[in-house]
Amino acid sequence: MMITRWLALVFATLLFVGCRFNNQEQGEHQQRIVSLSKQYNEIIFALGAEKDLVAVDLSSTYPPQIKSLPTVGYHRALSTEGIVSVKPSLVLHDNNVGPEQVMRQLEQLKIPLKVFEAKGQDIESTKSLVSEMGRFFHKEAKAESLNRKLDQDMEKASRRAKSYSTKPKVVLIHFGRAMNIYLTITRTSTAGKMIEWAGGEIPIGGDRGMVQLSPEIIASADPDVILLTDFGYDRLGSPEQVTTLPGVDSTRAAKNRRIFRVEEHDLVYIGPRTGENVLKLQDLIHAGKAAG
Amino acid sequence: MPAKPLGSPYAGILPVLAIALAVIAVFSVRFGAVGVSFADMISALRKGWSAPDLLNLTERIFLEIRLPRALACLFVGASLAMGGVLMQALFRNPIVEPGLVGTSSGAAFGASLYFVLGATLKFHTGEWTLPLAACLGGAVATACVFLVSETTQANRESTTALLLTGIAVNALFLSGVGFFSYIARDPQARSITFWNLGTLSGANWRAVIILAVVTIVGLAISLRYARQLNSLMMGEEEALYLGVDVKRLKLTITAVNVMLVAVATSITGIISFVGLIVPHLLRLMKGSDNRFLLIGGALMGAILLTLSDIAARLLLRPAELPIGIVTAAVGAPVFMGLLRNRRYRF
Repeated sequence: MMITRWLALVFATLLFVGCRFNNQEQGEHQQRIVSLSKQYNEIIFALGAEKDLVAVDLSSTYPPQIKSLPTVGYHRALSTEGIVSVKPSLVLHDNNVGPEQVMRQLEQLKIPLKVFEAKGQDIESTKSLVSEMGRFFHKEAKAESLNRKLDQDMEKASRRAKSYSTKPKVVLIHFGRAMNIYLTITRTSTAGKMIEWAGGEIPIGGDRGMVQLSPEIIASADPDVILLTDFGYDRLGSPEQVTTLPGVDSTRAAKNRRIFRVEEHDLVYIGPRTGENVLKLQDLIHAGKAAG
Repeated sequence: MPAKPLGSPYAGILPVLAIALAVIAVFSVRFGAVGVSFADMISALRKGWSAPDLLNLTERIFLEIRLPRALACLFVGASLAMGGVLMQALFRNPIVEPGLVGTSSGAAFGASLYFVLGATLKFHTGEWTLPLAACLGGAVATACVFLVSETTQANRESTTALLLTGIAVNALFLSGVGFFSYIARDPQARSITFWNLGTLSGANWRAVIILAVVTIVGLAISLRYARQLNSLMMGEEEALYLGVDVKRLKLTITAVNVMLVAVATSITGIISFVGLIVPHLLRLMKGSDNRFLLIGGALMGAILLTLSDIAARLLLRPAELPIGIVTAAVGAPVFMGLLRNRRYRF
């Protein structure tokens, strides 16, 4: 029994490695684009401009079909030769890449690099980014409809947010815990803004997107809702398991079983689905419906 | 002391190592994420000399990335292994590795300081800031070890004092690294992690030249002191009776070690295990004359690191594995296997 399980595990690992690191030609491309930003990649797929995409970074996980593309590794541990080996005619990145020398070496090899001008850090600049990318990929009409949908969703979300009588306190624990120290999202982060838009309140401030918090702070914040991103949640497995964590068990969220799983890639950057995701968050933190 | 030439028992091994190194070095430039054929190499070298503007992409990759990386790998491997030989001889202790006098942890501290506070303190001066910060950190930590052990060693055996101080200073600087990774933002923290695992992907021609000079000068100086180190193996007092200026020897050898290790580490990040394992491998093959260990160590270190780098480049192609993971993962089991060999004496 044990051995079969081990073999299955080994096989699954090999399969995973093989899929995520394969390096085969896939059809004809006019351009060969390597894109190293999860935000860009989601927009590229939303625009329907993915046919020239030949490789992405490891952290780009949305939409699901992106996982069939080869990856060139984690975006802060890139390899120049690895990128060159997929024969890119253009490398897109958002400056959040490393190690430092890789972009320098690509420049030296005269491989075209591009960073879009719009920063994509709030709704307005994300709409500019979508338009800019729409122009770049000649998908202006699609870009416009994406932006329209984003506006509509955001409007709907803000209408709904005003209609709520309560403002639940939400703590969002981002992946894992080391010795009961929780890596927690603050008000200043993108996810923090989204929870605010959803009509919730994050009791944790600070000038950084995430802070390490001790269980005592979580307990004294006494949140109404606790959200865990996919990785951390899946490791624990169920809300019951989450409530056994120190600091969590005494909160109102634990007593009322309002502990939910959220997808990391829905919350860490702003994109065409941000409005939709805010609506989903509203369902979770106000009604307490588990996401389907 | 009679100036005896390196005896015949050692004669066979060095040429074999040299040939093995040459073969492996060729493999190293031949294989990587991008295929570079021998024809590409030849035409790249020819064009690189006469008409650098006409180079195509593959030739550019060979000349600007692959070749400097392979050469840097040779020198870094040689430096780390020589550092190991020197430190083990100086401390007459087989568990010692070049990082023991604080050099690597100090370099790691300098690097993490740069990653976390570099932007805030505005000490960014281009691509050499990180190597410089790491090198300075290494030198400061080593100076700490020496100053503290000088003042505490009065009535203790001085080597022990140095060793213990080294352990304490390492702990101090590593706690600094830990503190910086803890307060770091996500990307900074990952930069620290990756730097601490080492990679040769940043190598360029300037790095190769710096490494070559340091390695060759380091080898020349240590060979001059190799016989004194041999006398030291018998004990500090015995060496004194043999006319060795032990204090000066210690200072010189440590300075050479810092130079070798700090410069290599500043360019590649921390690469563990090479400095520890290479001297032992050589002693298992043949005796412990430090002249042999130094030359053989340089060759063997270069061989091992080059093999590790090939693996690091190919295993997860087109991504890349940090080389420190490979050296430790392969080195440790091999080392344990060797230690089971009963005939082995330090």
